[in-house]
Amino acid sequence: MSGNGAVWGRVRSRLRAFPDRLAACGAEAAAYGRCVQASTAPGGRLRKDLCAQEFEALRSCFVAAAKKTLTGSH
Amino acid sequence: MRLQTALPLEMLRLTRFPTRWRRPPAAGVPAKNVGFRKVASGVSSLGSASPRSLNIFDRDLKRKQKNWAARQPERIKFDYLKEEVGSRIADRIYDIARDFPLALDVGCGRGYIAQHLNKETVGKFFQTDIAENALKNALEMEIPTVSVLADEEFLPFRENIFDLVVSSLSLHWVNDLPRALEQIHCVLKPDGVFIGALFGGDTLYELRCSLQLAETEREGGFSPHVSPFTAVNDLGHLLGRAGFNTLTVDTDEIQVNYPGMFELMEDLQGMGESNCAWNRKALLHRDTMLAAAAVYREMYGNEDGSVPATYQIYYMIGWKYHDSQARPAKRGSATVSFGELGKINDLMSQGKKSQ
Repeated sequence: MSGNGAVWGRVRSRLRAFPDRLAACGAEAAAYGRCVQASTAPGGRLRKDLCAQEFEALRSCFVAAAKKTLTGSH
Repeated sequence: MRLQTALPLEMLRLTRFPTRWRRPPAAGVPAKNVGFRKVASGVSSLGSASPRSLNIFDRDLKRKQKNWAARQPERIKFDYLKEEVGSRIADRIYDIARDFPLALDVGCGRGYIAQHLNKETVGKFFQTDIAENALKNALEMEIPTVSVLADEEFLPFRENIFDLVVSSLSLHWVNDLPRALEQIHCVLKPDGVFIGALFGGDTLYELRCSLQLAETEREGGFSPHVSPFTAVNDLGHLLGRAGFNTLTVDTDEIQVNYPGMFELMEDLQGMGESNCAWNRKALLHRDTMLAAAAVYREMYGNEDGSVPATYQIYYMIGWKYHDSQARPAKRGSATVSFGELGKINDLMSQGKKSQ
């Protein structure tokens, strides 16, 4: 780690905001989770980008929540 | 061979132990590693070609992680798990109808076991850990203690001196567990007891599965993020191989609810339990973390929105052999045959009549 931990502190504070933003996107997260869980059922096969659509929805919701908190805090 | 040690802390008394302490050297351990150890170093030299020893964990990194965790301003809020397991081990110590003048805590952290014990049960407690910050920030306890900076695999003590050795949730980071157990067996007195607790195979399975699924979906493959644990069958073998008698292994599950996966990971880091296996992936992408958190909540979440994390703890108790302990009977000394088991009631009443 660096001497005063500035980078680490910045990254960590960004990470600390994740749970709140994730909470704002509950529906999309649940949809993504269900998609992945369905692939674990017998007969399903999980491969890369199987649930890409759901994940994109989750991600855009997440980014929107991030923008909202940023603009809201300024 | 003289034992030279660079001792930064107050472990002065130990240098007066006769330095002739001998571990039966493991086959293949180069002679320079026997009897000569820098106690403060965490890992045997990477080049040492002992065929028995595995190198799964980066002990240096583990020491840095534990040092960091012990130095945090809010370290007390991460203590809950270790305190709980420490108190359960203290219960097991109280269950043994004996008191122990000299005891050793291997991988003590900030002293979670000692604070639950009283002076009558344990006379003096040696606390060892690889992280000096943990020893420096130790919790208050009434038993007189001596802090020793030592690695679990290289205990700097003479044979046959401790009545009791305990270890709470630190042996799961040891590279060579058979050897650590052998060393513990060595420093125990005959009729001494070892009580240990370590994490079992089901620990954090929710986290492991969520990360695995999310990484497979997001990145096409996955790498281990939760360190490997010992299986419960192996524990019995390990203890037996180390020379312990009268083994007892039992398991316990503690389930802790967290608001989400990120809080769980933060707590694990605060406890000093971050991954330090050599085969860990250094980077966890933010997308993968997000995906894993979503999967975790969906697959394992509770109704109120929190997510559970399971900690499976194995408690093991092993005794060092002493003549007074019960032994299996000699072969050929049977007076009754198993074939007569069906008539056991008659046999017993016959025995009573003849008395």
